[in-house]
Amino acid sequence: MKLLIVEDESLLREDMSGYLTERGFDCETAADYREGYRRITESKYDIIVLDITLPGGTGIDLLRKLRTSSLSTAVLILSAKDSLPDKMKGFGLGADDYLTKPFYMEELTARLNAILRRRVTPVRQVTRFDGLEIDVDARSVSFQQKPITLTKKEFELLLFFIDNAGRVVSKRAIVEHLWGDEFGGSDSMDTIYVHTMNLRKKLIAHTGTDYIKTVYGTGYKWSNQ
Amino acid sequence: MRLLQKTMWVSLVSTIVLLMLSGLWLYNYLKSEITEEMQEQLEYESSEIYDYLGKGNVVRAPMVAVERLGDEAGPVSVFRDTVLYDAVQRKREDYYYLLSVRKTPAGNFRVMVITDYIGWHHYSHAIFIHVLITVVILALLNAFGAYFFNRRIWGPFFYNLASMRSWSVGSGVPIQLKESDIQEFGELKKALQDVVDRSQKEYLLLQQFTENAAHEIQTPLAIIQSKLDKISQMPIPEELSETVEQARSGVHRLKRLNKSLLLLAKLDNNAYSERSEVWLDQLLGQQLDALEELFVGRQIEPEVRLVPMRLSAAPFLVEILITNLLSNALRYTAPGGRVFIGIEGRVLRVANPGAPMDVPGDELFRRFRKGSANTETVGLGLAIVYQICQVNGWKVSYGYEEGMHVFRVEFGE
Repeated sequence: MKLLIVEDESLLREDMSGYLTERGFDCETAADYREGYRRITESKYDIIVLDITLPGGTGIDLLRKLRTSSLSTAVLILSAKDSLPDKMKGFGLGADDYLTKPFYMEELTARLNAILRRRVTPVRQVTRFDGLEIDVDARSVSFQQKPITLTKKEFELLLFFIDNAGRVVSKRAIVEHLWGDEFGGSDSMDTIYVHTMNLRKKLIAHTGTDYIKTVYGTGYKWSNQ
Repeated sequence: MRLLQKTMWVSLVSTIVLLMLSGLWLYNYLKSEITEEMQEQLEYESSEIYDYLGKGNVVRAPMVAVERLGDEAGPVSVFRDTVLYDAVQRKREDYYYLLSVRKTPAGNFRVMVITDYIGWHHYSHAIFIHVLITVVILALLNAFGAYFFNRRIWGPFFYNLASMRSWSVGSGVPIQLKESDIQEFGELKKALQDVVDRSQKEYLLLQQFTENAAHEIQTPLAIIQSKLDKISQMPIPEELSETVEQARSGVHRLKRLNKSLLLLAKLDNNAYSERSEVWLDQLLGQQLDALEELFVGRQIEPEVRLVPMRLSAAPFLVEILITNLLSNALRYTAPGGRVFIGIEGRVLRVANPGAPMDVPGDELFRRFRKGSANTETVGLGLAIVYQICQVNGWKVSYGYEEGMHVFRVEFGE
């Protein structure tokens, strides 16, 4: 997947680029409007992560330019949808998703993957991990053709883990992913523990592998080792 | 009392007092004039009688009494009031008489001449009625005048007063003020316009500042979060990972605070004026569905009674309103408690059990006011609920009823 990050803040740009490269994206970056403009006119991307405030122009202008040449490129805007000025919203931006800063890297990956599943892949997408098959449209999971029954939240949790496989996923990121940041208190953290443990037990029972490891004090890590 | 009424009253009362004083003066003046005339007449009459008596004649006339006295009587002359019974009219009437004793060539006589107060009653009546009528006319003129002044001269003043009352600095709508040809009102209007313009400008600047500040804070926050994320990916000692988690919780709070401030600034700026049809019951149902695990996790049982209810509002704001009320109920309910969520007659009611609060109910909706010492919240959730209700013309209230914290949102028709 070819991905372009347009973000003027170098520290953030590098972190995102490093993280997404590690996730298997083919990352390119642009630090300002001109560079972004040059990149979108010179090559074609599957997905663009776009900041709104850029030196030399706005992300919105870039998006407009992009839409004149390519409709297939997916776009994730780094700003709350409701905080965009009305005239920009009214333009019919054609952005695929919005993410407010600050965000968890886990959330960024999950959102990008969700966009790609929805948009870039034309046919029904099945995400695979080892022998696990996850059908996102049908919201079903199976292991070696045998279905595993999961609750809605357990399914979302599983997908979140797999999108961030091999990484430590923080409990806060999980809570916000499942319920939004309004419910990110410590009470919700306990609930996460219960759900994660339920998911873990179900997976062990069906696959015989313990994929979910607890990382003390921080969260969990999905891995097959 | 209105200024207009006050000035009208003062002028009315002072005119009445003046009228009464002048009536009194007129009465006294007329009375002394008439008394003088009567005395002159009585003196003349009695001197005529003495002349007549002096010539040795006998006097017999109505309203005259003559008596012969002995030699030792000295000269006397006294005016007095008296009351006599009038047999013809069958009533007692006021009379005035002159009693005098004088020496005449024919001897000493005492003569009493009497006259009545002819027309005197008419005079006092006339004065009284004159004063009364003038007072009534003045009062009527006052009432009409007040009406007229209210409409014409004070009109712009009252209009401006009403627009000042209904005007809100955050509405972004310029105030409508009326011109007046009265100099004072003109000046007042100018001063009001000045204050309004200035406060609107400053308010806008403040809102912009809040909004810009919140936007600007986002990027450094994102950097902190991303760096903490990076640290937590490394193999680090447990102690450090705990520290990282604590730092994350701080970032989380700052993020929530920032988001809330931004939202409030936008609400104050009326940024969400677009409305569409929203079904409150459906949004509530969806959110409750999504939060099911959190309720179960805290062993809280929500008791939900919903009836279809349609609203015209920004869906995004209705969602936030619901989220904030539900998260509030979830946060402050002890495990095992029951939360009641219901729609009834265009009123949303969210109730959760809990001990009474130290904070007065209405203050809960003030910004940064917390009902408890919960450090995880920023104290803006209910302020946002309040503000959302404000911009939509809804009414939110809090009450403590039978051990329950009850929040009500009345949506009106």
